Amino acid sequence: MVNLPRAAATSAAREIERHRHAPVRIDIEELGKSYGNFAALENVSLTVKPGELLALLGPSGSGKTTLLRAIAGLTATEQGTIRFDGEDATVLSLRDRRVGFVFQQYALFRHMTVFDNVAFGLRVRPREERPRAGEIARRVRRLLELVQLDGLEKRFPSQISGGQRQRVALARALAIEPRVLLLDEPFGALDAKVRKELRSWLRELHTETGLTTVFVTHDQEEALELADRVVIMRAGQVEQVGTPSEIYDEPATPFVCEFLGGVARFEVTAKDGEADVLGSAFPLEGDSDYCGPALAYVRAHELEIVARERAEGVPAVIRAVRPFGPTVTVELSVEGRQSRIEAEVPRELYSSGELGIGQGVFIRATAARIYAAN
Amino acid sequence: MSANLPAQEAAHIAPRPFFRTPVTEAPLIKFTLIAIGLAFIVAMIFLPLAAVFFEAFRRGAEPFFAALVEPDALSAIRLTLFVAAISVPANLAFGLVASWAIAKFEFKGKSFLITLIDLPFSVSPVISGLVYILLFGSYGFIGPWLIAHGYQIVFAVPGIVLATIFVTFPFVARQLIPLMEQQGKGDEEAALSLGATGLQTFFRVTLPNIKWALLYGVLLCNARAMGEFGAVSVVSGHIRGKTNTMPLHVEILYNEYNFVAAFAVASLLAFLALVTLVLKSVLEWRYSGELAASSRH
Amino acid sequence: MNSLATSLRPAPSVLPGWGITMGLTLTWLSLIILIPLAGVFIKSAGLGWDEFWRLALDPRTVAALKLSFGAALIAAGVNVVFGFLAAWVLVRYEFPGKRLFDAAIDLPFALPTAVAGLAFTALYAPNGWLGSWLVPLGIKVAYTPLGIVVALIFIGLPFVVRSVQPVLADFDRELEEASATLGATRLQTVVKVILPALLPSLLTGFALAFARGVGEYGSIIFIAGNIPYVSEIAPLLIVIRLEEFNYAGATSIAAIMLVISFALLLLINLLQAWNRRRTGIQA
Repeated sequence: MVNLPRAAATSAAREIERHRHAPVRIDIEELGKSYGNFAALENVSLTVKPGELLALLGPSGSGKTTLLRAIAGLTATEQGTIRFDGEDATVLSLRDRRVGFVFQQYALFRHMTVFDNVAFGLRVRPREERPRAGEIARRVRRLLELVQLDGLEKRFPSQISGGQRQRVALARALAIEPRVLLLDEPFGALDAKVRKELRSWLRELHTETGLTTVFVTHDQEEALELADRVVIMRAGQVEQVGTPSEIYDEPATPFVCEFLGGVARFEVTAKDGEADVLGSAFPLEGDSDYCGPALAYVRAHELEIVARERAEGVPAVIRAVRPFGPTVTVELSVEGRQSRIEAEVPRELYSSGELGIGQGVFIRATAARIYAAN
Repeated sequence: MSANLPAQEAAHIAPRPFFRTPVTEAPLIKFTLIAIGLAFIVAMIFLPLAAVFFEAFRRGAEPFFAALVEPDALSAIRLTLFVAAISVPANLAFGLVASWAIAKFEFKGKSFLITLIDLPFSVSPVISGLVYILLFGSYGFIGPWLIAHGYQIVFAVPGIVLATIFVTFPFVARQLIPLMEQQGKGDEEAALSLGATGLQTFFRVTLPNIKWALLYGVLLCNARAMGEFGAVSVVSGHIRGKTNTMPLHVEILYNEYNFVAAFAVASLLAFLALVTLVLKSVLEWRYSGELAASSRH
Repeated sequence: MNSLATSLRPAPSVLPGWGITMGLTLTWLSLIILIPLAGVFIKSAGLGWDEFWRLALDPRTVAALKLSFGAALIAAGVNVVFGFLAAWVLVRYEFPGKRLFDAAIDLPFALPTAVAGLAFTALYAPNGWLGSWLVPLGIKVAYTPLGIVVALIFIGLPFVVRSVQPVLADFDRELEEASATLGATRLQTVVKVILPALLPSLLTGFALAFARGVGEYGSIIFIAGNIPYVSEIAPLLIVIRLEEFNYAGATSIAAIMLVISFALLLLINLLQAWNRRRTGIQA
């Protein structure tokens, strides 16, 4: 299903190309929105580059959906501006704003067939702008071809699968020739397998339509795998913006580190811009001569189990071994620390029989990110 | 961040002018719709209700109370209470029995059976009376035999009771069936597995779960039983002091141009309806979760 | 009856009491409802085909049936419009006294029909609160077919409101947002997205209000004027025939009313089932 029949897809994409303007740039400046005392968005500034696929990533309540809805014009904001190619979008009606919005639960019209759902946006246009019935039918069929649902025109939403509904919602949003495409948790309601398939398909679709696209997700893997750039949000504010590799390699804050997951956290004391983690010294991020409490993060694959006799690092005891996948995950306990540490080690170490449960070893960190604690 | 900012910044924070959530109507349209909707409710509901009380007290309180305590009125009140006292418990018992059989078991033809129980809702009250005349009248199927043996059914109290049971037949059952279906039978199965007998299960597990819905059904059943006019009118024979219920008494007074008395008795019935409405609303507000959401009439 | 109950045979269950409760249900249902109703059809059949049609096609009967069904149809139609509006206002907007108005919708369920009839007569009589305004304008409500429609609107209103209200309250606001982002105006959203989704519940409300209106008696006879061929409803004609001891005449009218009412209800049920199968939308 993932592999589009190339010819059909590209001809459908060309069809969209014909009706498309150059991709739109979105400038968001100092956006603010609150519900009573709760600040849903606080001073959010962000630029979405033309034709980019941008992910808004964050835990629930971080304001990512509010931001998406504000861009769409579904939620009113109290401060700041949103510009589409320099034009103030906050004063535009939804009709003039022309955003394609795909809802998390798809929000398909249940009393309409798949065809009628996709045609809806064309049929509600003012009479003078409305394409003729034949033209509408042609465009709807093209779009259904693009999302690989040709043949399902006459079905009702209740008669198709979750993944198919998702694609109908997408085709419906694309039918209005949107200036930007916005997707709220596009894979949130799907099971794991369909999710993976749709993910790479959406990436391809984005390449073909070239639309400026923003999607919301709480799944870091999804965001890093799919997006050109990722915006990490926390408590209504932007925590970090960057390409997936920037975010992964240089997480700006402890929050980003923890949110990306797969890390062990150590509370350490820094001296002159350095701190000791598991027996090795590492430099602090930023401020170079900071002294005081700091937080250190070490990813599982940055932990090394070293041979006993070298007596490097700190002593630890193996508590569990999970020998699945390309690497072996080892759970270790270290004296003076409550929670266990996970280390990813090469399979050879496991095969050689050195990872017995209860066995004492030494561990050390090969890399660590250290942040001054406020 | 927003709640207690100084006043000069408040303007900054006020919602943007002209922005309206895309799924609401413009204020002018909204107020027009509210005005039309409420005007309609006032004209159709509140005005008639007010008119009843206004007409009843048109000549002051004295004729009003005089109309309520005269012997025929008192006997009509007594008969109405008597009829309700029989028909409501009868339908209560039927409702419990039927909803147990229908909601707690799976069988073919269930929805057809529910349709049959609902039948009286779509039968004219006049026809509900007529059917008993065809059965028990002096020219009816078994009427002549019964009358010969001294049993007068129609044009007597038993006929009134029967007709009332007919028109109020579905009230309790249709309240309980959806609720009990929704609740499933897990509680009952648990009770039985713990060694309770069938009756213990019913009284200790099932009944507490449905008590508010049951009360709700009884309330509506009672209101209809006391207020029924058409069906009772056909089978009553209109014998003053004997087979006149309150609604029939109202009609007789009205036809005799005794308007104040007619509206006095009518206002007593209207008051009863208001009490019913208040209790019903209280049940809905307090125990909405324990009334089946699917059926509010 | 008990043997019928056991022959229905439910799916196996550990719960006790199937035989006795189903037996009692069927017995009581048959004695109170089914056998008496069957009497109408047995009596009609006993008349013979020709005699039955002679009675049924009696011009006064036809006029009364037309009036009952026609007035009920108009009233149910009015209720669909205003009931929807009332439900919309009660669900979507906040205003002082909302709970009172909401509770008041059920008054027609609770108020005895005879009292309602009296009240409307008093309101629309030439010297009544509304009649004194309307009569000089040439609008006569009391003692005309229009009065019948007004009474039936009262009787049917809660059926429509209470059918629509829960569906509207549960309506997914995202559908409206989706419609708006696709460029629909608010009116287009209401007409093309909301109304079709409410259609099954509106139809249910219409059917209930209509069925109730066709058979309504108590609230009408006071306001109708009861002039044969003009404002005499079918249930009243049944009563008149009974008072003349013309049981055959009364029964034939009743049989026709029952058949038409049941057929319409069946039709509407089938429509609902078809719509449900097609779109998966519950009424």
